Amino acid sequence: MSLQQSIRQSLVNLIAPLYPMAKRWLYHFHGGVFPKYNKSLSLRQPLRRGFMPKQLILPLQQHMGAPAVPCVQVGDQVKKYQLIAQADKGLSVPVHAPTSGTIIALEQRILPHASGLAEPCIVIAPDGKDDALTNPLNRQQPPQTIAEFKQLILDAGIVGMGGAGFPTFAKLPNQPGLVQHLIINGAECEPFITCDDLLMQTHASEIIRAAQFIADLFAIAHVVCGIETNKPEAIKAIRQACQGTNIEVVEVATVYPMGGQKQLTQELLNIEIPTQKHSIDVGVVMMNVATLRAISQAIDFGQPLVSRFVTVSGMGLKQPFNIDALLGTPFNELVTLAQPEPKLDYPLLMGGPMMGFAVANNDVPVIKTTNCILANPPQAMQDPMACIRCGECAEACPINLLPQQLYWHAKAHEFEQAEKLNLFDCIECGCCSFVCPSRIPLVQYYRHAKAEVRELKAQAALTEQAKQRHDARVARLEREKQEREAKIAAKKAAVKQQAATEQTANNSTAADTTTTLSAREKAIQAAKARQAAAKKLNPEGTKDTKILEAHTEEKTEVKTELTVEDKRKAAIEAAKARAAAKKLNNEGTKISEAHTEEKTEVKTELTVEDKRKAAMEAAKARAAARKQQMESNNE
Amino acid sequence: MSAFTSSPFAHNNSSVQKVMLQVQIAAFPALLAHILLFGYGIVVQWFLAVATALLVEYVMLKLRDRPVLPNITDFSALITVTGLVFCIPPESPWWVIVSGSAFALIFGKHLYGGLGYNPFNPAMLGYAFLLISFPAEMTQWTLPKDIAGYSLSFWDSFNHIMFGALPHAPIDSFTGATPLSAVKTGIQEGISANQMLHAPNIETGWLSLSAWGWINIAFLVGGAWMMYTRTIRWQFPVGFLGALALMAWIFHSINPDLYAPVSFHLLFGGTMLAAFFIITDPVSSSTTPMGRLIYAAGIGMLVYVIRNWGAFPDGIAFAVLLMNIAVPLIDRYTQPRVVGH
Repeated sequence: MSLQQSIRQSLVNLIAPLYPMAKRWLYHFHGGVFPKYNKSLSLRQPLRRGFMPKQLILPLQQHMGAPAVPCVQVGDQVKKYQLIAQADKGLSVPVHAPTSGTIIALEQRILPHASGLAEPCIVIAPDGKDDALTNPLNRQQPPQTIAEFKQLILDAGIVGMGGAGFPTFAKLPNQPGLVQHLIINGAECEPFITCDDLLMQTHASEIIRAAQFIADLFAIAHVVCGIETNKPEAIKAIRQACQGTNIEVVEVATVYPMGGQKQLTQELLNIEIPTQKHSIDVGVVMMNVATLRAISQAIDFGQPLVSRFVTVSGMGLKQPFNIDALLGTPFNELVTLAQPEPKLDYPLLMGGPMMGFAVANNDVPVIKTTNCILANPPQAMQDPMACIRCGECAEACPINLLPQQLYWHAKAHEFEQAEKLNLFDCIECGCCSFVCPSRIPLVQYYRHAKAEVRELKAQAALTEQAKQRHDARVARLEREKQEREAKIAAKKAAVKQQAATEQTANNSTAADTTTTLSAREKAIQAAKARQAAAKKLNPEGTKDTKILEAHTEEKTEVKTELTVEDKRKAAIEAAKARAAAKKLNNEGTKISEAHTEEKTEVKTELTVEDKRKAAMEAAKARAAARKQQMESNNE
Repeated sequence: MSAFTSSPFAHNNSSVQKVMLQVQIAAFPALLAHILLFGYGIVVQWFLAVATALLVEYVMLKLRDRPVLPNITDFSALITVTGLVFCIPPESPWWVIVSGSAFALIFGKHLYGGLGYNPFNPAMLGYAFLLISFPAEMTQWTLPKDIAGYSLSFWDSFNHIMFGALPHAPIDSFTGATPLSAVKTGIQEGISANQMLHAPNIETGWLSLSAWGWINIAFLVGGAWMMYTRTIRWQFPVGFLGALALMAWIFHSINPDLYAPVSFHLLFGGTMLAAFFIITDPVSSSTTPMGRLIYAAGIGMLVYVIRNWGAFPDGIAFAVLLMNIAVPLIDRYTQPRVVGH
């Protein structure tokens, strides 16, 4: 502590009894509150160890990300440190057996989570022998590379033990030089909680060793440890452990929420983590002392995370204490050790009174993020009164939000407005609710508003997705329709070709009927002209003949007709057919489309005339074939 | 857990009642000074006002179908009527304070949805209502005892207020214009501001500070207490008094004959009452730190403008109401920078 700091400290100490809020001059971030800490409660007793509960309940999800995947069966015997659930792909960490025993169940149990939901858990009945695997993580030597180190702490199941439970491996970069500052978080600003304090007192060297290891591995130039002034013993122990290292130990003011990531970073480094960004984006990595100790156990002994320091405290306990508890130990067994008075007929809290939550069931287990089990008998709550806009909340907000206006909009369901007032920068520390004279559960309103906004956004995203999908479908249908039409057109062209061929081959009457009002005279004249043309075309006739050959039957019919009718006429008709076929060949699909109606008429004409039954049947067959083709297209 | 089951589970034990009571306690020095200097009229008025407030609150809560408890015990009505009581002449007839209090609470608060929803300062709304409706009664202020050379007993005051019974002396001998209006009239008649201030009905009293000066000092003491206990925000008095003093200093420097000195503006009229008890009403004022400063400074400037160039001797009520209108705008443009932005 610099001279300037200590002068300021002593000045504030002088003023504080008269004007408590003078304490706000001692730190750099805005707002903050000074609740009754009650930390001495749990520090009166020495650390407890070795408590073995009747059963251990190990949730597959004790961290942020995907739940672990169990790799044991009911009835399996497991040893201490044995892997019982593997990390899933992506953001996930494994779970290990905290002691030796039998897997007695793989079932849903209520988690220590604000939701109070039941999730899959592995339940172990300890055999009391505490048989441990040797070198469970198969570690030969301390990890040499970042990849090895990250794999090790992943295998050890290490997550942020300060409360967030974010898998530690995932918050570290893959190469050295990206992190400028490593902050060791020993602030522990929540009232009642002393587990980090005690851990620092008893395991300072391990914490510092792990920090040093990480600093060396990631080439971090600046390592700083922030501890609140109300933990003099811990400060002493950490300072001692830091001797001979470059690690800086800073006493930070005792104010809630000093231990918040944004606040401690601001306090120690004067860096504000930009909104929507992570601390790593500004070259800062923060680790809780308990996390560092778990890392040191993994590095030094290859031990996975199977136990942690837990504060068991509260106004409803006669003998509050700290304990090195096995993960999976039910809350109520620990609380019973602390002699609850009055009877434990109210929900326990996990975490401190400022940010903790009431558990749905008192036999939920200790998990990797359980720093405190709090037994505070419920007090008569005053009903919230109207907001008088006094502004205490804004004075207390460490993010410098306007909680009162946020509340106003959240209450009125004006979530967009609340978002504009930076609702999502709220860290839910509870300072605003703590100071509100109207006792409005402000944080609850913000949580609700955040959930609503997320829901609305998810819905909007879904709507957008649906819209895009619909547009894509419409476009696809349109495209398919066009393709189909093109196909049909092509087919029609072919059909028309055939039809035209038939028609010509059959007789002139059919052709005459097509031009509705055609008189015989006209037909004869046209026939004469065609005759002349046919004479010219005859030499090229071979191609057309081929087409005609495809319809041998019809041709035969034509021949029979010819015997009936005039020989000259037949010659004319043959020429006509050849000319039409050639024309079709030359002009292609467009013309064939234009002739579609004509062809249909031809068809009807053919049905009327019994003589050309065969032709009719052929046409029918073609139509059926085409219909089939269209149906298959539609599909 | 009863009311809510999410964190935080701790509270600093503050309450609306405590805040309001703190204000009430802070008003005591001024109340005492008032009794000493102007007689017992204010006590009678205060009881009338409180009785009215209780009745109005009860009836309005019933009409609005809201629970009478705890709403009637939030003490906000008490603060409203206390502010109003200090504004009206101590010997004015009973119906003045009764109608003023009722108007302040009904139209100033309940019709807007009760505590926390009123855009206007209820006390000032009530005062403006009285000033416009009963200008004669509102401008005849009781003369300080040492000027009138005569004081009314509690019983005399009670009789006068309740029944209009005149005491032994005619009303003119114990009421008169307030110094603010006296100076204003004087300046309009061509007498210099300094001369007016040395007129016998102003510059008399203990330590050559007028009765008005003492009342203002008493409000200042109470206000300091509220700042210390963080009942009020420092931006209000600082902004208001700063702006008023600055305006007075500028114009007094330009023309001392036409414009009264800074001390006059700070120590006469309702300056200190406004600075610590009126404009500090959080409900109708700005909520951002910068906004409070702007809001308060705006009132300070408007007060000076109305005092010097307006039709009324003191302009606090109108200045406050005008700035109340501007609050949403001020709030909108004075959002503090959020950490990380």
